[in-house]
Amino acid sequence: MSVVARSWGNLTTIGKVVLPLFVLLIVVGPIATVLLALFVGPLVIDVLAANIVIVRFVVAVTAILLFSIPAAFLIIYMEMKGIALINLRVGPDRVGPYGSLLSVVHGLKVLMKEDFTPTGADPIVFTWAPVVVFLTTVMSFLVIPFAPGLFGQDLNIGLLYFFAVGGLSVVGLLMAGWSSFNKYSLVGGLRSAAQIVSYEIPLTLSVVGLILLAGTMSLNSLVLQQSGWFTNWFVFRQPLAAIIFFIAITAEINRTPFDLTEADSEIVAGFATEYSGMRFGFFFFAEYVNVFVASAMIATLFLGGWNAPFPFPPVSLGVDPGALGIGLLLLVAIGPLIGTLVLAVPFWLARSSMPTWQALVLGFLAFNLVVILLFMGWAFVSIDWVAGLILFMLKTFLLVFVFVWMRGTLPRVRIDQLMNFAWKWLLPASLLNLFATAGAIVVATSVRGS
Amino acid sequence: MSFVPGLGMLRGMALTLRRFFEPKATIKYPEVKADYATKYRGRLQLLYDEHGTLKCETCFQCAQACPIECIDMGGIDTKGRFHVHWGPPETYGERREESALRRSGRTVPDRAYEHFEPIPIDPVVAILDRYDYDPKEMLRILEAVQDEYGYLPVSAIKTISATTGAWYAMIYGTASYYRHLRFERPLTTIGICRCTACLLAGAGRIADALEDELGSRVGSVASDGGIRLARLDGHLPGAPSPLVTIDGEPTREITETNAATWIRALTGRTAA
Repeated sequence: MSVVARSWGNLTTIGKVVLPLFVLLIVVGPIATVLLALFVGPLVIDVLAANIVIVRFVVAVTAILLFSIPAAFLIIYMEMKGIALINLRVGPDRVGPYGSLLSVVHGLKVLMKEDFTPTGADPIVFTWAPVVVFLTTVMSFLVIPFAPGLFGQDLNIGLLYFFAVGGLSVVGLLMAGWSSFNKYSLVGGLRSAAQIVSYEIPLTLSVVGLILLAGTMSLNSLVLQQSGWFTNWFVFRQPLAAIIFFIAITAEINRTPFDLTEADSEIVAGFATEYSGMRFGFFFFAEYVNVFVASAMIATLFLGGWNAPFPFPPVSLGVDPGALGIGLLLLVAIGPLIGTLVLAVPFWLARSSMPTWQALVLGFLAFNLVVILLFMGWAFVSIDWVAGLILFMLKTFLLVFVFVWMRGTLPRVRIDQLMNFAWKWLLPASLLNLFATAGAIVVATSVRGS
Repeated sequence: MSFVPGLGMLRGMALTLRRFFEPKATIKYPEVKADYATKYRGRLQLLYDEHGTLKCETCFQCAQACPIECIDMGGIDTKGRFHVHWGPPETYGERREESALRRSGRTVPDRAYEHFEPIPIDPVVAILDRYDYDPKEMLRILEAVQDEYGYLPVSAIKTISATTGAWYAMIYGTASYYRHLRFERPLTTIGICRCTACLLAGAGRIADALEDELGSRVGSVASDGGIRLARLDGHLPGAPSPLVTIDGEPTREITETNAATWIRALTGRTAA
C-alpha cells in the first residue's frame, strides 16, 4: 500500500471532499485569474469607467462603513482609558496591549446578548430606529474631506448636507422612544428631540458667518481657503463662531456636560431603555462615531482640516529608482543583508552574553523598522494625501481627546439650564456673530470698492 | 469679586489634566500586593445588626484565632452568662476569667508552668532592675534584652509583662513595630575576643571593620543578615590571636585587612 493511499485512507469524509477541491483551486485558480484578466477584465473596467460616479460612491460608502468600526473602537478605548487615567485608575489593561482590545470585547459581548423586543412594542419601527440613528451618523462621513482627494463626495452644499443629515437623527430617536411602548422611553425620546432641535439652531447659525466669509458651502473649498499659515484658520477669523459651534455640537452629540438624554445616574436611560443586545449596540456605536464626526467637522471648519499649521516647504526628494539601472537590482538584493548585519553589530557588541543569532534577529527587526520609518517619511513628503490624512487625524483625535477630557471633568447640567443656555445665550451670540461678520464684510467691500 | 465666565470650568479641566499624568492609585492585586506592616491585622470592631443589637455572641472564636492574644473578653453573652464591654476590643483591660479562657481553648496561665523555651532569666531581671520595672522604658528594656540574648525570647517578654504590668500584646506590638527587634534567634553569632593579647594583635580594628560593614555595634544584632556581633568572655585555650569565632568555633586567618571582605562573603551566604 503506497503512502498516498494510506494518507487518503486517514482522511475523514469531509477531508476527502475538501482536499480535491483545494487541489482543484490551486490548479484552476491561476488559470482562471489569467483568463478573467485577459477577457472579462477589460469589459468590467470599461463598465466601471463609464459609471465612475457610481463606483466612487459605492467605494466611498463601503470604505466609510468599514472605517467607522475601528474609529468607534478606538474612541471607546480612548474614553475608557482617558477617564480612568483622570480618575487616578489604571483602566483597561488586560485584553491586548494596554487593554486596547477591550472595546472589541465589548462589541462581542453586545453581539452575544439577548435581542429582546418588549410586549406591545411596534416591532418594525422598534427594529429600524437604531438603523436610522446609525445611518444618519455614517452618512455624515460622506462629505468630510479627510485629505486632498480623499473624500466621499465633494458636494457644493456639503455643510448644508451635514446639518440636514445630522438633524435626521432626531427621527431615529423619536422612533425608538415611541415604539418601545414605555412611557419613560417616550419621555426620553422627546427629551433628546427637544435638546437636539434646540441646539441645531445655534449650531447652524454659528457657521453662517463662516459661509459669508468663505462664500462657499463645499467643505473641500472651505479647507482649501484655510491653507497657508495657521492664522488663516477660521478659528482665528471666527472665534465666537468656533466657541458656539463647539458647545452646540457637544449638545448635539449628547456628550457631557449635555448628556441628558441618557443621564444614567439620575434618570431612566431615555429612548434606549428598552433596547438590548446589538440594537442597543447600534445606538452606542452611533454615539461614538458621532464623536468622531463632530471632531472631524470642528477640525475641518475651524482648524484648517488637512492643512499643515505652516506652509510646508516644497521638498522633492528627486529619487528616481529607475536611474540606478542594474544598481537597483543589486541594492534590492544586498541592501537588506548589509542593513541587517550593520544593525546587528551594536546589539552584538552591547551584550556579550547575547548569542549571535539573537543579535541577527534584532538587527533584522531594526532594519525593518528603519525601512518602514524611511518609507513613511518618504510617503509623508512625497504623497500629499498621506501628510494630509495624518494631520487631519491628528487634529480630529486631539478634539476627541478634548471630548473625553470634558467627560472626565464636567458635571451634567440641568434640563432647564440646558434649554436656557441654548435660547438665551447661544442663539443671541450666534446672531451677534452673524451680524458682526456681515457688517464687517459690507464695510470691507465698500472700503475696498471706493 | 471678579467673576470670569468659564474660568472655573477651565480650572477644573486643568485639574483633571494634571490628574491624567499623576501616578495611579490602583494596585493590580493578583500581581502586586499592598505593602502592609507585618503586625497589621486589620482594625478590630464589634458589629451591630440592623436593630442595634450587638452581633457578638461571645463565642471566643476570635480570641482563639488571635495570634498575639490581644482579643480578650469578659462580659455577658446572648445567654446571659458573660458580661461584654463594648468599645474597641483592643482596649479591654480587664483580666480574662479562667472559665472564659477554658472555653476559648487556651491554657489557663500557671506561673509554675513554662511551656516556652527555657532561658536563664537572671539577665532579664537584672535589666528590669536597672530600668526600675518602668513600662515607659519598654523600648530600652527590649533593646537591652535583645543585646543580651541576640533576640527577644517569649519567656523574657512574658517575664517583662508579668513584672512591669504591661500587657503581653502591647509589648509584642512595640517589639514588632521596630525592625531592629527580632523574635528569632540570630543565624550567626560572631564573637570577638577582647583580651589584651588579642587587642594587641588587632582585634579592636577587626571589630571596627566588622561594625562598619554590618552597620551595627558589638553587642547588638545587625538588622539585615541576622548576624550578631558579641564580645567573648574569655580567650579560648589554644586559640590563635586575634580570636574571632563563628557560633563558638574559632576562625583562623582573619586580619584587619581581610575582615571586611570576609564579612561581606558571610552576609552574602546568609542572605542566600
